[in-house]
Amino acid sequence: MTDIKRLKTISCSFPVLLSVVCILYSVVCILSPANAEEYSFDITETEKKLYHIGGYAELKPVLFGLDKNAALYKLKFYNCDEGATIQEYNATLQLEGSLEKGIARLFVRTNTDYKKSYLGVDQKTIIYEGFLSLKPSSSLTIDMGKKTLKWGKGYAWNPVAFIDRPKDPDDPELSLEGFIIASADYIKSFQGPLKTVSFTPVLVPVYKHVNVTFGEFNKLNFAAKLYLLLYDTDIDFIILTGGSKTTRYGVDFSRNISTNLEIHGEFAFINDYKTNFIDSNGNNFEKKYDAKSYLIGIRYLTEKEATFILEYYRNGTGFTYGEMKDYFSFINKGYDSYISTGSDTLLKKAVTVTEGNYGRPNPKRDYIYLRVSQKEPFDILYFTPSITGILNIDDRSFSLSPELLYTGITNLELRLKTAFIAGERKSEYGEKQNDCRAELRIRYYF
Amino acid sequence: MSKTLAFIIALMIALPAYAIDGTALLKQVDRNLNPESYESYRKLINVEPDGRKKEYTLFSVKKGVDKVASLFLAPASEKGRSTLRLGDNMWLYIPNVGKPIRITSLQSVVGGVFNNADILQLDYAAEYDVEKVEEKGAEYLLYLKAKTKTVAYDRLKIWADKGKKLPTKIECLTGANMLIKTIYFKEVKDFGGGITRPSVIETDSPLYKGYKSVMIFAKLKKRDFKDEVFTLTFMPNLESLR
Repeated sequence: MTDIKRLKTISCSFPVLLSVVCILYSVVCILSPANAEEYSFDITETEKKLYHIGGYAELKPVLFGLDKNAALYKLKFYNCDEGATIQEYNATLQLEGSLEKGIARLFVRTNTDYKKSYLGVDQKTIIYEGFLSLKPSSSLTIDMGKKTLKWGKGYAWNPVAFIDRPKDPDDPELSLEGFIIASADYIKSFQGPLKTVSFTPVLVPVYKHVNVTFGEFNKLNFAAKLYLLLYDTDIDFIILTGGSKTTRYGVDFSRNISTNLEIHGEFAFINDYKTNFIDSNGNNFEKKYDAKSYLIGIRYLTEKEATFILEYYRNGTGFTYGEMKDYFSFINKGYDSYISTGSDTLLKKAVTVTEGNYGRPNPKRDYIYLRVSQKEPFDILYFTPSITGILNIDDRSFSLSPELLYTGITNLELRLKTAFIAGERKSEYGEKQNDCRAELRIRYYF
Repeated sequence: MSKTLAFIIALMIALPAYAIDGTALLKQVDRNLNPESYESYRKLINVEPDGRKKEYTLFSVKKGVDKVASLFLAPASEKGRSTLRLGDNMWLYIPNVGKPIRITSLQSVVGGVFNNADILQLDYAAEYDVEKVEEKGAEYLLYLKAKTKTVAYDRLKIWADKGKKLPTKIECLTGANMLIKTIYFKEVKDFGGGITRPSVIETDSPLYKGYKSVMIFAKLKKRDFKDEVFTLTFMPNLESLR
């Protein structure tokens, strides 16, 4: 199909969304404790227990509006016809527990996902985190086990998060699975412009059964972060070396400019970054280069309490416009071959280069992220509508995600989110399998 | 002669009123509200016009004039969140997000009328200069002006009890003297260890008509902490201080 500029139509049914909003409103009215008694403070609430168990349970039905002409639709659904929409029913149970005695604390967080979709039922439980923490003094903490570090200051992307799994810019606050590490935090405070220095050395072993997705096996990797609070600015210097991945260096910063404006940034330099790509005929190529990624962003709060998060991300490890175009062309060629001959050899080859490569979140070079959220409009307490846009600057494709969040009922979080995707053929968002998506997330904390 | 004597006596009586050292008075109010270094538990209650409420329980620690940190203990949806303030710097740590992010003083991590600057309140003398002091019956009225533009409110008017030297009411104002919110200090209580102060703080705002937020204090006591406790790196570990 030729590159014809088009705007994907919104095919999600609005009556469905309207029904969902009505149900939400009813739930809120029923559960909200109106006319409650005078306030009080029960001191027993403050007593510390030896252990803690908590977490959340979540239900998330999702409706996808499919784009049957998109390359990624063809790649995924070439041998089945699922119609114009597909539904997916997700349930998540995230449990966390801790046990604390003296200087030691044991912490575990597990995540169980249940998914019912056109593929059938899938369920998996993963230990996201599980580590022992020793705190001999307020200046020193030693952690051993599976842990997420979440380095970096960016909201949607973190190019300096060298030992974290990539987060989803569409939902950047989701908790992630960690890696098995040994780390320490040493903190020192000072008077004057340099207020804090902390040093975090990290060991990341990568062996046959340990951290297998991190990189090359049989290596003991070393990472470190030096944090400074200098002239009211957070500054981190970061390094990762050891062989599983090529050596990389990072720096980030964050600073409040005024009572309602924060600025942040990250820069990462990756030595000898290797990437694999294919041309439109399916020939594999490998490229090695020094990659530079960076991010600059602001968080701004208006007088009307609207929050703007704006970030520009240069992904030095991303694919160029031509490389992505070749990838989509190859999928189309594979699909045409399947239609004409019944052979899916080329499509299977495309699947192998997709996973963790072309298929990673935001695989191209230049992006802008904008999120605008309005706190409690129309005097509705705990209600936050927002809209998030991610623009691929290279090909002008984008996703736009309005959402409604209500947290007025203690421990219950209701979120209705939709996403609309637009872009030309052979652009990143134009070739996504969906035109649009609508989801309701009901999360209960305990 | 008698007129001269009466004038001198009147002047002597009146003199203390003009000799009030506003800065010293503000520092005294600060010290009477909180010891310089302490821990406390607080319950924050946001009350909606129809009486619906949302409650939060916090453990808070403070050191010196510009270091304060809080840890959310309840409800379950907020448990483990912590906030830190070092002078003008503020951060929020959310366990799921896994890293501290910078927040600004005018935001509110709990919604309602209290903003971050109210929840992580420093000594007033650390952020404001006293422009003048007036005597209003049994109270002093202190007019305060923010030292820098990074302070949440440009101006404050503090009504303080003359005897106890404790605030009874604070009006938070913009630079143009527009009222943002009023904070009421109620139910003076003896917490032990020489700390006697209001145990309930209420606030309302013309910007949130009908809404009210309340802060109740408990188990407030003097305690020393190392400076390292008030650092970004320590934020995930605040629970270990309890």
